[in-house]
Amino acid sequence: MSDKSQIEAVVEAILFVTSDPISRDQLAQVFEGVDQVVANEAIDSVLARYDGADGRGIRVEEVAGGVRLVTRPELHGYLRKFFEVSGRTRMSMAALETLAIVGYRQPITAPEVQELRAVNSSGVLKTLLERRLIRIGGRKKVVGKPFLYRTTREFLMHFGLESLQDLPPLEDFEEVFGGDAEEV
Amino acid sequence: MSHREVPAPPGLPDSWRVHLPMFEGPLDLLLHLVKINELEIGDIPVAVICDQFHEYLGLMEELNLDIAGEYIYEAALLIHLKSRMLLPKRPVEDGGEGEDPRQQLVERLLEYRRIKEAAQTLAETHRVRQGIWTRQTDLKELRDEEDDSLDMGEISVFDLLGALREVLVRYDRDHPDPLLLDPAAFSVRDQIDRLIGNMEAGRPFNLIDDLRGRRARGEVVAAFLAVLELARLRLIRLHQTDAGDLLLYRTTRELSQEELEGIPG
Repeated sequence: MSDKSQIEAVVEAILFVTSDPISRDQLAQVFEGVDQVVANEAIDSVLARYDGADGRGIRVEEVAGGVRLVTRPELHGYLRKFFEVSGRTRMSMAALETLAIVGYRQPITAPEVQELRAVNSSGVLKTLLERRLIRIGGRKKVVGKPFLYRTTREFLMHFGLESLQDLPPLEDFEEVFGGDAEEV
Repeated sequence: MSHREVPAPPGLPDSWRVHLPMFEGPLDLLLHLVKINELEIGDIPVAVICDQFHEYLGLMEELNLDIAGEYIYEAALLIHLKSRMLLPKRPVEDGGEGEDPRQQLVERLLEYRRIKEAAQTLAETHRVRQGIWTRQTDLKELRDEEDDSLDMGEISVFDLLGALREVLVRYDRDHPDPLLLDPAAFSVRDQIDRLIGNMEAGRPFNLIDDLRGRRARGEVVAAFLAVLELARLRLIRLHQTDAGDLLLYRTTRELSQEELEGIPG
C-alpha cells in the first residue's frame, strides 16, 4: 500500500462511508508503514477534489477536529423535496441565547446563566441537554455544588466549528455594530 | 425579541388584534427601550427608562398577559436605582467621583447585548447549516460484533437515566409482585410476647439482628412498635453501642395484668 492513488482511493472510500468527522490521525492509521507526510498529502488531495468544484453536490468540511463529506447547503430544498422532509428543527431565541452563553462562558452553572439572561433558564438548559448540544461536565466547588455546563462535540458539528477557538470573538460584535447594537 | 399576537377581546372584531413585541426577558426589554429612545448604554436616564419599563408591564397586565417574575424583579431593581439617583452623591475621600450607581446595570446590559449578538450569529449559522446534510451511516451496524457500548466521552446524564430505567423495567419483570400478606398478621402484642420470650435477664439482645430476621416489612414495623412499647413500660432498657448496634436489656420489672390489657393489638 504505497501507491499514492491507492491511498487516495482509500481515504475517499472511508469518507464516503462514515457520517461522523474523522481526524487525520485516524485516517493515517489505516496505512501501515506509510509515511505520515505521504498519508497527509493523500488526504489533502482528496479534500482538494471536492473543494470549490462546480457541478459537485458534496464537499469535504473540516469540523470538530476531523473531516467528513457533507452536501452543499444550497441544495437543501431539493434534498428536502426528494426525501419528503418538511423542514429541519428550529431553535428558539431563548435556546440560542443560552447556547451562546454556555459556548462563550463555559464551564458555567445554571445560576450563572440565569444571572446573565435575567430569566430562568433551567428549561432551556434541559432542552439543550436533550439535543446533546451541551453536556454536564463536573460540578462547581461552591455551596450546593451546582452542575457545570459545557458544549459538546455535537455543538461544534452543528455550527461547523473545528474547535471552540473558532467561535467568533465576542469583541468583534462591538466593532461590527459600533457603539449601539442593532436589533434584528 | 419576537412578536406575539394577542387575540382580540371576545365580541370585538379581529382587527382589534394587538401586535405586542415579546421580549426574551427584562434585559431584552431594557435594551429595546435604550434603542428606541436612542440612548447611550453608558448614560441611561434611569427615571425615563424606569417609567417606560413600568408602562410596558402595565400594558401586559391590561392585555391579561402573564408577567413573569423576572420582569417584576427587574422593575423593583429599577425603582431602587431611580431612588438612588435622586440621592445626593456621597463625597468620596480621595476627591474622585463616586461609583455611578448605574454601573452594574450598564455592565449587565453590555454583557447581555454581547450574548444576544452572539446568539444572532449562531441563529444565522444554524439557519445555513440546517441546509447541510450528512451521511446517515450507523457505524454500529458495520461493525462485526454486536456492540451497544457507548463512547464514554459522549455519555450524558440522559444515557444514564435511560440505562437506569431499563434496569428498573427488567428488575420489575424478573421480580413479580410478591404474594400479598394479610396486613393484620403481625400484631404488636405478639411481638412483645416474642421479644420478652427471647430475652434473658442480664444478656444483651441485639435489636438490629432480630429485625433482620423478620420475614416481612409489617413484622419489622410491629416489632419496632413493640420495642417502643416495652421501653415505655420500662420492661427493657435500650443501649446503643459505638458501632451503632441497638442492644436491649430486660429489666427486673414484671408486666401487670392491667398493663398487658392496655397494650394495643
